[in-house]
Amino acid sequence: MSGQTQSDLKSWGDILNPVEMQRHQQVGLLGIVALFVLPLVIPAIYAIYLSSALFFATFVMSWDFVSGYTGEISFGHGLFFGVGGYTSGMLNLHMGIDPWIAAPIGAVAAGIAGLLIGFPSLRVQGPYFSLITLVTPIILISVFRFFPDLTGGELGLVSVGTVEKFSAIGPIPSPGFDPYSGYYLALFVFLLALVIFVAITRSDAGMVLTAIRADEISVAATGKNPAKFKLFAFVLSGLVGGLAGAMYGHSVGGFNVSELLALIISIEVIVAAILGGIGTITGAAIGGLFFYLLRVFMRNIEFTIPVVNVPVGEIYFLLFGIVTLGFLFYLPEGIVPRLVGEWRARSEPQAGEAVADGGKSRGERIVEEWTDDLRELFGGERR
Amino acid sequence: MSSGAQSGDAEPPAEPVDDARNFDPDDGVLVADGLTKRFGGLTAVDDLSFAVEEQEILGFIGPNGAGKSTTFNCITGRYPPTDGTVYYRGEDVTGLPAYEMVGKGLARTFQEFRPFEDRTILANVQTALVPDELFSTSGLRGETRAEAIKLCERVGLGDEMHRMPDELPHAGMLRLELARAMATDPDMMLIDEPFAGLAEGEIGQISSLLTELREEGTTLVVVDHNMRGLLELIDRAIVINFGELLAEGTPEEIRENPDVQEAYLGSE
Repeated sequence: MSGQTQSDLKSWGDILNPVEMQRHQQVGLLGIVALFVLPLVIPAIYAIYLSSALFFATFVMSWDFVSGYTGEISFGHGLFFGVGGYTSGMLNLHMGIDPWIAAPIGAVAAGIAGLLIGFPSLRVQGPYFSLITLVTPIILISVFRFFPDLTGGELGLVSVGTVEKFSAIGPIPSPGFDPYSGYYLALFVFLLALVIFVAITRSDAGMVLTAIRADEISVAATGKNPAKFKLFAFVLSGLVGGLAGAMYGHSVGGFNVSELLALIISIEVIVAAILGGIGTITGAAIGGLFFYLLRVFMRNIEFTIPVVNVPVGEIYFLLFGIVTLGFLFYLPEGIVPRLVGEWRARSEPQAGEAVADGGKSRGERIVEEWTDDLRELFGGERR
Repeated sequence: MSSGAQSGDAEPPAEPVDDARNFDPDDGVLVADGLTKRFGGLTAVDDLSFAVEEQEILGFIGPNGAGKSTTFNCITGRYPPTDGTVYYRGEDVTGLPAYEMVGKGLARTFQEFRPFEDRTILANVQTALVPDELFSTSGLRGETRAEAIKLCERVGLGDEMHRMPDELPHAGMLRLELARAMATDPDMMLIDEPFAGLAEGEIGQISSLLTELREEGTTLVVVDHNMRGLLELIDRAIVINFGELLAEGTPEEIRENPDVQEAYLGSE
């Protein structure tokens, strides 16, 4: 049991043993421990911010799992958050189903939505597929407008009636009313998503999903059904995104178009994933938290910009956009891949497994393939 | 190999082989019966029938544009044939998708090379080793890695397995294609144009690798438009032209066949 020779099989103990992990994995585990103890030291208002950030990061991971891995860029992931959230909210509002039961049903509804969205991805090329995903949440919003009695239209379910929050379980106070309880619910959903997505992407399926992005025909030629893997990714992404949407609505958030379904949500999710590092899951988790908290932080700055005489809090979104652009420009591979790369370079300069240095990051590859598809659609040559 | 010389030939010779070729499903490991593929008005493969025997190395020869790759693509499930039947081990497998054909034991390589450009040679082979299952963890525990290293060494990529595909020379890409096909543990491999662009020494190395595979029980179909290096390797050849069967026989018979010489070798 030397554990040194390459051909030795690793046991589950080796893989999950924190002492044996690489530096960045250990830091990640420390971060998770920190998330557990954080509520002990922060005031309630920050617990609420952090809960929303954790839910948002879960959204981002659900996007990264499908788009970051298979390369099928979804511009409308809000659909899943919306279907999950609204299904659960309406089941409670109109039929009186307990939120603890309604939320998993909402997740399943979003999983079915994932299956339906996944089917066109089997036939349609990159940019066309992206357009389909862009349009579907917009269609859903329009449908909602037709049935304001049921959905509350643009205003959300709150305009129809009061959707119940999660009830208290024994000594644990309701996550809808106690900020710390809400925080731990958010943390639970976040960690559940993180564990599921990391486990799958680090297992063999992750290798197949990225291979689909690289060359679907070759995936089939090595005996794997690309459609099966793609649909699986969409369904799971929908399930997790929908669960997060429902959990969010019944705890720290609400059931509004602007919080779940709106285009801006779908776009923010993509930007956050790029910031953190596409196709890594951990990058999406960190990018999501970072993105959300940075926005809250900038909104709360009480500083008036001298010359133009505008408080930062009023134009925070503009500044936030500029900061984001800066990140995208100077850190295209994302925060997490950059940090991990630097660590590796420092700690093990002659690593056995040559990383494709000088090569492109996942995010850059995805964008490149997408624009290649686009160019082809418009009659140009692929590069 | 100029295409002008081919287009100078009008019709292929009248009766190259007897027309009444009917194959039963059990006539070979792989049987194509009346295979036809039309793209719009173009008939790329026209009523082609042949059988591949267990553990032989069959040469599948024909000038550029004769329909070799199309025949291949119809058999391996890239697209379905317009007409005709494909049997594999007595079972009708016509139009089955590629991944199912691989599951049945029929692997292929790509003439145009289709590596996964985003990962190392080793990771390419590892990816090929991964089973068609959503929840599989053999890669996580290092099983596929050890196996992939063995395969890379076997095809002669041992020193280059940590490189990226675009750093490989032409012969290296071919080796990668072979390693990836071998990773699916096939009973039969269809190898598309292995010798194109290879130097003499490399042809010898690839030939001995293929011979080795055959000795281990794999049936091989080797496609090439060029007979250089091929006739020494194969047991038997099928020659097609204009999507139709032109000749069939041992390498000597093919070399002597006047139809083949006229339609094909004559153009050299």
